[in-house]
Amino acid sequence: MDELELLKKDWKKQEENLPKLSYNEIYKMTLKKSSSIVKWIFIISIIEFLLMISLEVIARLNGTYDTYEDIGIGNGFTIGLSCISFCILLYFIFQFYKNYRKIITTDSAKVLMENILKTRRTVKRYVFINLSFITLILLSIFAYTLFYSTGFQEIQSASTKEVPTYLIAVFFFFVTILCVGILGLVYYLFYGLLTRRLNQNYKELKRLEV
Amino acid sequence: MNKELEHNFVTNLEQNQNIVHKVCRIYTNDADSHNDLFQEITIQLWKAYPKFRGDSKFSTWMYRVSLNTAITLYRKSKRRIKTSDFDSTNFRITEEEYDDEVEQQLKLMYKAVKQLNDIEKALVFLYLEDKSYREIAETMGISEVNARVKMNRVKTKLKKILNP
Repeated sequence: MDELELLKKDWKKQEENLPKLSYNEIYKMTLKKSSSIVKWIFIISIIEFLLMISLEVIARLNGTYDTYEDIGIGNGFTIGLSCISFCILLYFIFQFYKNYRKIITTDSAKVLMENILKTRRTVKRYVFINLSFITLILLSIFAYTLFYSTGFQEIQSASTKEVPTYLIAVFFFFVTILCVGILGLVYYLFYGLLTRRLNQNYKELKRLEV
Repeated sequence: MNKELEHNFVTNLEQNQNIVHKVCRIYTNDADSHNDLFQEITIQLWKAYPKFRGDSKFSTWMYRVSLNTAITLYRKSKRRIKTSDFDSTNFRITEEEYDDEVEQQLKLMYKAVKQLNDIEKALVFLYLEDKSYREIAETMGISEVNARVKMNRVKTKLKKILNP
C-alpha cells in the first residue's frame, strides 16, 4: 500500500487529538500584534528611507555644502542635486507604497511571494541608486577640486612637500570605492538574511514552472 | 472594527480551528512554536477577514491564508528546536488498533514529512486534506500539471527518505 495513503488515513484520525482553543483564547489572539516578515520589511524600509533622507539633511546642516561653495561650486549646483535626489526619493516611496498595498494574504502563495519580494526590491534599488549617486557626487566634486578649483591650487603651492595630484586622485578614488563597496556588501548580506527563506521558497515554486 | 464582525470571525475560527492546528503541526516542532504560528495565522486571518466575501467557503479561504502565513509571512521564533530533535510521538498519538509494524511505519512517515522543504510540506498537507489537484494548484499559484508532477516527486522523495 502507498505510504502516503496510509498517512492520509491516520491524518484524519488524529483530528480528535488536536488542541481545542476556546472562544476567548482566540479572541485574545486577534488583539495581538503581528510579527510577520511583511511588517518587518515595512519597518526596515521606512528606516532606510529615513536614513537616506537624514544623510541629505545632515549634509546640508553641517555645512558640507558651504565647503563646496568655498571651493567654487555654485549654490545652484547643490540645490539642483538636492532636487534630483528628492524626486528620486518620491518616485521610490510611491513605488514602495504601490507594491506594499498589493501584498494580500488571500493571493496564491506564488503571487504573494512575488509581491513581497517586489516591495523589498524597490527599497533595495533605491538604496543602490542613492549610494551610486553619492559616490558619483563625491568623486566628481573631488575631481573638480583637484584639477579646477583655484583654492586647492593655492594650498597645494603653499605647502612645502608637493604630492603629485594624480596620486591624491587615485588614493581618494580607491578609498571612496572601498567605503561604498563595504557599505553595499553589508547591506546586501543583511537584505539576503531578511528574505532568505522567502527567496528559497519562491525559487522552489518557480522551479516547478520550468 | 465592529463587534459583530469580530464575533462572526472568532466563532468561525473556533469551529474551524483544526485546519490551523494541522498547519502548525506540519510546520513546527514544539508546543511553543505551534502556539506562535497559530497566533500569527489568527492575526493574519483577522486582518484579511473584512475582505472575505463569502463567495468561497470560510474553510477554503482559511487554507490559503494559513498556508501563506506558514510558508511566507511567519518568522520562525528563536525558541524552535531543530528538526532532528523532533520527537514524532507528539505527532502520532498512540492508537490501540494499530499493530506495531504499521505504527512504526507511520512514525517514520511523519518524520520523513518533517524533512521536506516548506513548499513540499504544503503540497503534502493539501494532499492529506484530500484537496483536488486543481485546488492545490490554485492555492500554490502553479499549474495543475505541475502540481501533479511535483506531488509525484514528493512521493518519490519520501520513499527515498524512508528507504535510503
